[in-house]
Amino acid sequence: MKRTGFLYDQRYLLHDTGPYHPERSERLQAIYQGIESAGLLPHLTRITARPADMQWVETIHTEKYIRRFEEVCLSGHRTLDCEDNQMCRETYETALLAVGGTLEAARMIMAGELDNAFCAIRPPGHHAEREEAMGFCYFNNVAIAARYLQMQWNIQRVGIVDFDVHHGNGTQHIFEKDPTVFYYSIHEHPSFAYPGTGREFEMGSGEGYGFTKNSPVLPGQSDEDYRRLFEQDLLPAFEKFVPEVIIVSTGFDAHKEDDMADMRVTTEGFAWIMRSIMKLADTYAQGRLLSVLEGGYALDRLPELAADHVRIMLDA
Amino acid sequence: MFVSRSMTEKVITVRKETSLLEAQDLMNKHQIRHLPVVDDDNILVGIITDRDIRGALPYRLVKEQPESEERAKYAHLKVETYMTDKPATISPEHTLQDALLLIQEKRMGAFPVVDRDGRLKGIISVRDLLRAFINVLGIGEPGTLLCILAEEKVGQLKRIVDVITEEKISCGSVLVARYFEKDKRAVFPYLLTNNVMRVKQRLRDLGFEILDPMQWYLDQLPKPAPPEA
Repeated sequence: MKRTGFLYDQRYLLHDTGPYHPERSERLQAIYQGIESAGLLPHLTRITARPADMQWVETIHTEKYIRRFEEVCLSGHRTLDCEDNQMCRETYETALLAVGGTLEAARMIMAGELDNAFCAIRPPGHHAEREEAMGFCYFNNVAIAARYLQMQWNIQRVGIVDFDVHHGNGTQHIFEKDPTVFYYSIHEHPSFAYPGTGREFEMGSGEGYGFTKNSPVLPGQSDEDYRRLFEQDLLPAFEKFVPEVIIVSTGFDAHKEDDMADMRVTTEGFAWIMRSIMKLADTYAQGRLLSVLEGGYALDRLPELAADHVRIMLDA
Repeated sequence: MFVSRSMTEKVITVRKETSLLEAQDLMNKHQIRHLPVVDDDNILVGIITDRDIRGALPYRLVKEQPESEERAKYAHLKVETYMTDKPATISPEHTLQDALLLIQEKRMGAFPVVDRDGRLKGIISVRDLLRAFINVLGIGEPGTLLCILAEEKVGQLKRIVDVITEEKISCGSVLVARYFEKDKRAVFPYLLTNNVMRVKQRLRDLGFEILDPMQWYLDQLPKPAPPEA
């Protein structure tokens, strides 16, 4: 059995997006409850959330943006940059806590205290650009974690796998010129789904050309298509890149019962996805894997999806 | 939606007397395929395309890096001989739809844009039109495409747009297309948001069917013939 960390904090529920918003605190409660009732908590090492050190946030976001986010939030405005991004006064603090908890999970993995970790955090991060909040995301948790691993722990090559149903435009743009971070994303085709990027021909630029890989999937597709694309696009890419740590942008919104998008991946399909990412981590990265929550809005399905996810990480 | 807003205004032009090789160099340098030919008063007198040039020169001079001596043999060829006189043109006041239809009808890759006096004002190419329609479709901005099945009767689009407006969602574009069932239309609003769950539910509550866009697309394809009995 692996030593798996679990990050969950009641304070992640404080980010209040108002009525009717899909990115709501009930998502995290469903995830926690799923893991708890599957009897997995005793096998997990709890990770304590704490606000991130600003030095790490600033490796990705400009100081100007961070100040703006803080000021807009504390002044009581309900949105940042776009109607999608609903906020309350606690949003900024919660976002810092999400980054901080993710970095603590990364630290514990690198210090050898854990093999891997699942960070059940809010708000999510993969749409957040350097200077812009987008698609319910404010700080790019995964991007900050990748830089932290490189700068604090001297990791040369970070591999990111993003299976949220939406393309992680923020993560892609942040690393598109960077050959030390490989960004792989599988998502609903951008002609149909938010945010409209992540086409096959987006492959990075400059020195980073070839270190971005996108697998857009047409609406209505299912487990077999994900499996085919993983095998065809991700496995050979990581075989060549040889990541030293794998960070996963974990989104459960490609599930067939999730109304945010049009995919038909089953609960078993998600299990296959996670098992194959675990295999990659064991093959190339000494098992070091950091899974960070992005989307997933089917409240009835999140408990089983989260429990399976963690069970696979425990290798039990 | 006018040609004047989408055309390229800084046009590379040549004269009738310009040598064909010089015209070819200009096309290569600027990665373009059409050169309007103008006189001293900037009046359009013709257009020369990369196809005209390919037809005039031997294959070696088109595809390979030619020896200068070889090229010298063709230095006397002038644009005048190979250009199209009085080419089809379009005016700056024409619409983008005009340009699209004209390009399809005339099978040309670009049109010189001229004013009433025949003076060259710009050029509009397939590439310019693509850019303009990417803008029209709104797909340069982040958003989500919905596919809504609506009955073909008055007021359906308004009901859809009302829900979108009430949800405070901006619309990048709306396309309306035929559906294989008679009396039905597929409506595709491109919504500039990630937050589509509630708007989808409200549309369903109003009796609209939300389709998988691929389902709509597949239904457009010709059905295979039924197997012989």
